[in-house]
Amino acid sequence: MATESDHATTGETGADVERGYFGITLASRTKWNLIRAATVVGYVLMLLPLVVIVINSFNPSRLGNFPPSSLTLRWYEELLADTTMLRALWNSLLVGISAAFVAGLVGTLTAMGFVRKDFRMQNALVIVLLSPLLVPPIIVGVAATIFFSQIGIGRSLGWLIVMHALLGLPYAFLIIRSQLYLFDETLEEAAQSLGADRVTTFREVTLPLIAPSIITAMVIVFVISFGEFTATQFWVKRTTTTVPVVIFSMLRTSISPKIDALATVMLVVTIVVPLFILGIRRYLLRN
Amino acid sequence: MSTERSRIPALKDRVMENDWIRFLISPGLGIAWILLFLFLPMTIILVISFSIPGDYGNVIYEFTVENYRRFWTADVYQNIIFESLLYGVVVTLLSIPLGYTIGYFLGRSKTDWKWILLGLVVLQYWVPFIIRTYAWIIILSNNGVLNQLLLGLDVISSPLNIMYTDYSMILGLTVSLLPFMILPVYVSVSTIDEDQIHAAKTLGATDFRAFREITLPQSMPGIVSGVLFVFIISAGAFLAPVLLGGPGTRMIAPVIESVFIQDFNWPFAAALSIVYFGIIGFLLYLFNRRVDLEEALETGAT
Repeated sequence: MATESDHATTGETGADVERGYFGITLASRTKWNLIRAATVVGYVLMLLPLVVIVINSFNPSRLGNFPPSSLTLRWYEELLADTTMLRALWNSLLVGISAAFVAGLVGTLTAMGFVRKDFRMQNALVIVLLSPLLVPPIIVGVAATIFFSQIGIGRSLGWLIVMHALLGLPYAFLIIRSQLYLFDETLEEAAQSLGADRVTTFREVTLPLIAPSIITAMVIVFVISFGEFTATQFWVKRTTTTVPVVIFSMLRTSISPKIDALATVMLVVTIVVPLFILGIRRYLLRN
Repeated sequence: MSTERSRIPALKDRVMENDWIRFLISPGLGIAWILLFLFLPMTIILVISFSIPGDYGNVIYEFTVENYRRFWTADVYQNIIFESLLYGVVVTLLSIPLGYTIGYFLGRSKTDWKWILLGLVVLQYWVPFIIRTYAWIIILSNNGVLNQLLLGLDVISSPLNIMYTDYSMILGLTVSLLPFMILPVYVSVSTIDEDQIHAAKTLGATDFRAFREITLPQSMPGIVSGVLFVFIISAGAFLAPVLLGGPGTRMIAPVIESVFIQDFNWPFAAALSIVYFGIIGFLLYLFNRRVDLEEALETGAT
């Protein structure tokens, strides 16, 4: 099949000799163009819906005539006046950030335990740690709801945080562990032979070196928590509801561009916040 | 120097064995978290699935196989699980060629846009499912964006009825899950040594043969990981069938939800969950016999 490098050698800089050498024909260039066309189609399918939501959130028409004849901020104003939604947004942020910290901490300690210690059944225990990826969220939702109600714990933000941390833990663990595999343990030994105690070594050597992966892991956990719906729908009550649950119940009652406005806010949070944090991470890494 | 060297292992042992760090840095905390909040709840629903439903979600702890007998005797639930798996297969089969092509493009392309394109896939991955699913309602419904555009351009004379059918649901699911196929395929393809492909072609292999014998086998880990994620998520999908599917679309997740929430029949919802999880578990077991499950999960999740 054609590759870009085939294509590149047929370009202006490509020598005719190479062209013959690699067996480049017009046909392979055509194939590459087909691949490119399919890629464009895929991107349109993935991105167009999001663009439509953002545009529609400024649409003055309740029925959503498209494209809108003029633009309005009306739906955002309604959003700001809606205490249920602001509450949901606040809950989502709080749960997402808390779950990120919990899963970041648990994930770091667990990953370090796996990499630094030898124990039996490592492989089986890794599958246990990754199992939240394998159980369909609808089942996690039902099982946790029955579990908490049987031990007599009512729905709360704490419940949400604990469960969202569970759903994010496999990702946190994998991301941090892959960084630890690259870690040079002699650095720790060097610090200690120079007289640093264990806590200092951890704080001054280990943590700074694995911090970037911990930050990445926390960002991913936040994103997962912020968007989770299928399991979360069973775990919320009126005062602890989250944005995806609110959007879902709005979709069941009436569709208006207000939903698009809320969805746009969610898009901004789920994209801008992680990019911002990853940007800081990059800045810290440079210094 | 030699004394320094011999001291090092001793130091390392001290770190790991003598204090609170040792206690905290262990797989124990993560494992405990999973056991407590996933395995224990799963065990409890296993018990409850053999119990009698009371009123308002109460459970009467008295042994019965009635919930499983109901599943076994009423064809409807078996059909729903079968159909869910079938939708999962269809979505997976659709996402392989499209996802592979895009992943292949990203892995091979030398364009300056590559990092932006990759970033867009990652962003897509971050966008909540509910938003990606909802977007298709605005686009595909009878007075949606697509129909308004097509009517406006006089391509069609009456709105297309695509929304609330199997097609809209399958389209929505496939597109939503594309990043799960694209990213691992991209990772696999970009690590293939291009010299191998050039060598094969130099030796007279056609483009297709070089692809089939070099690129495809080496990108299998990516495909396998993509298939695992796309299949599990699509077969267990809740939002897509509820929001995009038609009256004839039946999938297991919405059924479990309605038994649990509307009927308040917790033991039967638990039994359905256990049966469905058992089937998924069995499929994963078969999967694990052919390929490394852990590796596939790692490829997909990092």
